[in-house]
Amino acid sequence: MKYITLKGRTIVQGCCKAEALVSSKPISFLGGVDPTNGKIIEKDHDLYGECIKEKVLCFPHGHGSTVGSYVLYSLAEKNLAPKAIVNQTADPVVVVGAIIADIPMVDQIDIKRIKTGDVIKVDAYNGVVKILKRRES
Amino acid sequence: MYLTKEEERTYDGEYGWANQICMKILVRLGELFNATRLIPISSAHVAGVSYKTLGDAPAEFLQALAKADGKAKVRATLNPQSFDPEYLGRRLPKHIREKQLNILKQFEKMGFTRSLTCTPYYLEKPKRDSHLAWAESSAVVYANSVLGAWTNREGGPSALAAAIIGKTPDYGMHRAENRQSNILVDVKTSLRNEAEFGALGIYLGKILEDKIPIIQGLNDVSEVKLKQLGAALATTGMVNMFYHNTRRERGEIEKIIVEAEDLKRTSEELSTTAEVKPDLVFIGCPHCSLDEIRKIAGLMDDKKVRAGTEFWVCTSCYVKERAEDYVKKIEKSGGCVLTDMCTIVSWTETLGIKTIMTNSAKTAYYAPTLNKAETVFAPLKQCLDTTLEG
Repeated sequence: MKYITLKGRTIVQGCCKAEALVSSKPISFLGGVDPTNGKIIEKDHDLYGECIKEKVLCFPHGHGSTVGSYVLYSLAEKNLAPKAIVNQTADPVVVVGAIIADIPMVDQIDIKRIKTGDVIKVDAYNGVVKILKRRES
Repeated sequence: MYLTKEEERTYDGEYGWANQICMKILVRLGELFNATRLIPISSAHVAGVSYKTLGDAPAEFLQALAKADGKAKVRATLNPQSFDPEYLGRRLPKHIREKQLNILKQFEKMGFTRSLTCTPYYLEKPKRDSHLAWAESSAVVYANSVLGAWTNREGGPSALAAAIIGKTPDYGMHRAENRQSNILVDVKTSLRNEAEFGALGIYLGKILEDKIPIIQGLNDVSEVKLKQLGAALATTGMVNMFYHNTRRERGEIEKIIVEAEDLKRTSEELSTTAEVKPDLVFIGCPHCSLDEIRKIAGLMDDKKVRAGTEFWVCTSCYVKERAEDYVKKIEKSGGCVLTDMCTIVSWTETLGIKTIMTNSAKTAYYAPTLNKAETVFAPLKQCLDTTLEG
């Protein structure tokens, strides 16, 4: 079987395999994610109520306060952080958050090709995302 | 991005985790914005100090950094916290005070100055053409536009990292070619006071995005009025810098015109109520200078603050100490000169404050959401007329 391979850019090195959680909307970690349980709490968000723990979190880019970087650190300290972050366009808030929380991160990926529930491998040493298994519908 | 041998060693962790993580933040951000190298800064100013806006998450990171011997390498100042320790501190629950004090303790361990102000330039004025890494958008615009220093609009964490490394990546406002004006603003009405300068900033911020305007037609300009203009520009826009009343040397640029009607509408929108007896009248966003406090004390004219209204003047501890006689006068009239705090990141709703009158366009813009308060936006003179009896 031939895997779909998407090529992007390394932001934070690392490697992991996990289920994708994909959003078409920007995420603000301050006010948008509950730091006590890792759930998306921003009203009207397409991932409202979803838990980001141990997922490969795919979203276009971050927005909102730079305090959001610290929220990612706090999530990681409580083992509630995503296993990896895949962005269309990296922005300073998420980049700093991924660095201090040590979460592998890749950007410049066409995230529309990834669907929630797909099993994907993120090789953030080489900036590559592979879709290993499509979600069974 | 080019790194010196020494910077590489920091990046590789030879000088410990705190320095390594801060170097990583600067290098990654630098790469993101096409910086070529790191440049030394003369000071850093860190925002994100108030426990009300930070919550619990940042304390953990700050604690980890302080524990790993993170130390500021340049003068590093702090934005305001969420209360004045003497006046409001006593009226807030113990757990809030403790959380706030813990955040301050971590910064102090790392060698930050307990400045607790959004106007660090009143404590020590940066030199013209010096490079800074400042967060706090109002101070960024002021530094670039009024003081002639060079700084990007940093976020809390990137200013922190710059403080600990003593450097910042050389992108954006650190390059001369990015500091050229690219839009001309012609103000067709004469602005009468600081509040109207603020309203102009709120109006323009929405239109300008991150452009650098030359604003023409401003008369009776003062540093205090430019401070209000800059704070407001950064409230609704991504503006980092403006020029005023100069002429562009060459080249045609886009031009916009501001009429009296635009500013009148903006001012009206900044008031959400016509309440004549606000719970709080607040002056000092951004924090007051010595001159402003002198002016307020003069206007108090030994009258009394009316019952049922609180009158707050906010500034830094540094300025308050130097304004002793004026402070006495304001306090004698029943007003409070509060230090170390910012009203919009303070716990006003916990104190039962439901209406805020202010001469600050920035506060008037934020208070309905951040303080869940109704606002009355008016110039200083009118604020004092409302505050005082008789």
